[in-house]
Amino acid sequence: MTACHAENNIPTVGADQAARGRAMHWIRVERYWEGEFPDVRLKFRPVMCQQCDAAPCEPVCPTYASHHTAEGLNAQVYNRCIGTRYCANACPYNVRFFDFFHPSWDKPLHLQLNPDVSLREVGVMEKCTFCVQRISGAKIQAKAEKRELKDGEIKPACVQSCPAKALVFGDLNDAESDVSRLSRSPRGSKLLEDVGTLPKVTYLERQTQV
Amino acid sequence: MKAVYALYPDGASAQRAVDGLRAAGVAERDITVISAMPMEDYEFSHKDKATWIWWIASGGGLVGLCLGTWLPWMTETAWPLQTGNMPIVSWWTNLIVMFELTMLGGILATVITLLVTARLPGRGPELYDPEVTDEKILVGVKNPREGSVPEIERALLSSPAARLKTIGTP
Amino acid sequence: MSEPTALRISDDLLRPLLRTSWRFYVLVAFLGSIVLMGLGSWFYQMYRGFGITGINNPVYWAFYITNFVFWIGISHAGTLISAILRLANAGWRRPVTRCAEVITVFALMIGALFPIIHLGRPWLFFWLIPYPNHRGIWPNFRSPLVWDFFAITTYLVGSLLFLFLPMIPDFALVRDKSTGLRRKIYGALALGWRGTTKQWNRLETAMQIMAIAIIPVAVSVHTIVSFDFSMAPVPMWHSTVFGPYFVAGAIFSGIAGLIVAMATLRKFLHLEDYLHPVHFQNLGKLLLLMSLLWTYFVFAERLTIWYGNEPSEMAVFWVTQRGSFAPLFWTMVICNFVLPFPILAIKKLRTIGGCVVASSGVLVGMWLERFLIVVPSLGHKYLPYSWGVYSPRPVEIMITISTFAAMTLLYVLFAKFVPIISIWELKAGGHPSPALIPPATAEHALGEAYP
Repeated sequence: MTACHAENNIPTVGADQAARGRAMHWIRVERYWEGEFPDVRLKFRPVMCQQCDAAPCEPVCPTYASHHTAEGLNAQVYNRCIGTRYCANACPYNVRFFDFFHPSWDKPLHLQLNPDVSLREVGVMEKCTFCVQRISGAKIQAKAEKRELKDGEIKPACVQSCPAKALVFGDLNDAESDVSRLSRSPRGSKLLEDVGTLPKVTYLERQTQV
Repeated sequence: MKAVYALYPDGASAQRAVDGLRAAGVAERDITVISAMPMEDYEFSHKDKATWIWWIASGGGLVGLCLGTWLPWMTETAWPLQTGNMPIVSWWTNLIVMFELTMLGGILATVITLLVTARLPGRGPELYDPEVTDEKILVGVKNPREGSVPEIERALLSSPAARLKTIGTP
Repeated sequence: MSEPTALRISDDLLRPLLRTSWRFYVLVAFLGSIVLMGLGSWFYQMYRGFGITGINNPVYWAFYITNFVFWIGISHAGTLISAILRLANAGWRRPVTRCAEVITVFALMIGALFPIIHLGRPWLFFWLIPYPNHRGIWPNFRSPLVWDFFAITTYLVGSLLFLFLPMIPDFALVRDKSTGLRRKIYGALALGWRGTTKQWNRLETAMQIMAIAIIPVAVSVHTIVSFDFSMAPVPMWHSTVFGPYFVAGAIFSGIAGLIVAMATLRKFLHLEDYLHPVHFQNLGKLLLLMSLLWTYFVFAERLTIWYGNEPSEMAVFWVTQRGSFAPLFWTMVICNFVLPFPILAIKKLRTIGGCVVASSGVLVGMWLERFLIVVPSLGHKYLPYSWGVYSPRPVEIMITISTFAAMTLLYVLFAKFVPIISIWELKAGGHPSPALIPPATAEHALGEAYP
């Protein structure tokens, strides 16, 4: 989560605003407790924009600020957003966030802003982009070097920083990539699949000892 | 502008005057009847006269429909962006804009037709008397034919309560 | 209509235009100051950022959208009642039409402001309009908000014209009875109207067409507003009944608003000879009908949801019925059904005062109904981890109050400058078309033109 904040210039909203439910965590780690004490188990579920193929946030945006790119990502165009917040209401995963105030950072965080990511102004929506700046950067690099992208070459901030390597990113269109093989795993399921959003993120259930 | 007219206190005497004018040979379209309210229980109101306005309103609606069909289609093909699982030109959703612009076209066509045919806003001198707002009914002839004025005056005075007036020297 | 009565109509209904008491100025100053405070709050919101409202993640819509739906709903009274009663040839509509149509226009204008007030970047609202530009970009016609823009524009233009056209003969009346600057202004507004038979025919036909056209537009407008909710996959929003449900609720709240406005006008402009108890009784019966219809829709929707027992929908269901929103929910039920039903159903209670009490309750209840559609669902979407609560902040409350003041102010100003009862239509009631008079009474009503 911290890596995401650092990479994507996400503002810190302060304790008051966070208490009022306005924290802007493009990726959040949901924590669930199972069982009764002392047989308690802890489960973590990181939730970020699912980049749905049938995203309900896209048709409802009146200015096309939220639309689907040819690569399959859900793009959020900050300049086109007029802040109706309809997309956030339509999103069943609650992964869209609104800039309630002009973004600000507690010092000295204002010195570590990423120049690859545009700063948002008050009144626009923002969300996880699968670190599209890193995707674009890697594509440009590969093109300059006249080669194809390798599987695992692009790592969004969250994937790169996870010490347990719990997050895997790649090209779903490439049947041989890690992420494709893992998404076909029998342990895999999608979040809120029955809502019909066709989310891209596959969650793998932990294998349990019998 | 010249005119000969009289003011009547009620619809019945006005109707008599209109009938008298017709008998005196004045053409229907030269007879002017002005009142402060529509008086549809009298024949002089021409309530059942045929009118084109329904067709014009429908035509306006058709124009609106064409505009409402073209606009979303044109914009969706000019800047094609994938949203949700919907097609680029999404006819289900375009129907709504088509409907609204159809109704708007019909409404605007009706209002414009009204303004044009009722000659609103009025320009140039017209036959009118402010006493009409005191519930008098004005029946008269604007720009009467040479020599017809005595007959017109006789027809207008068919009711004892009539008050004859003239504008200009007919 | 014999002459003295007709003249007295003109006198009585023009008196508010021609004579002004100090009370008018005090009222306008009071309402104006509230409206200015509301405007100030809105500018402060634009300056400081949207964060000064109570909106948060996940409750991204609250008071402003509630107000939007509420005011658009109120706007359905006027034109719908006026148009439907005109098409049904109901003579009792004549003193009521303009009061009703004015509510429509002003409520629509206020309601249409709210989509702009609730934007994060309201200075860019014009991007919803499809205008050609050098970037070659257009609005998204799949979005219910763009449909809103077209629907509300069409309805506003239609209602404005529906209101203005029959005002032309009354402007001519004022022009002829006044002098100086007033005469010039009303003369310009009257567009040179004289009252020839041709002009009356054209006007009446145009009004007939407008009445036929405005009814589907009115129905579509609130259906499209309901689509703002039903198109999103939010529990208890994604409901097929929302279109008719919202239209019924709109007519319901609109009639209530009309009754309150008419009763106020009757008292303060001394219109007791024109707005009779029977008008209120008739509107009261319509209000009762709409109350039953609204109750039917709510019952049908909630029964279906409860029977279906779908977890995410039941979460919202219980939070409104038994949980934190229960006090508001049950207040709404009392205000919209329990209170109006006996008052409007029992003839002895269906007096002007009774109708006003019932209508005031309905206005409160319908505002709560809009709020209870928007906020509980957003606070309890599919993922319980992301559920949230909402509480309003001063800026939202101030803007809400100021819109009520703005509505009242606009209405007061309108009644000052335009006869609030349509004078010529009232007088024309004494000269109905022969087609409308049943044969038995024909010989009593007409002049010698018809033997």
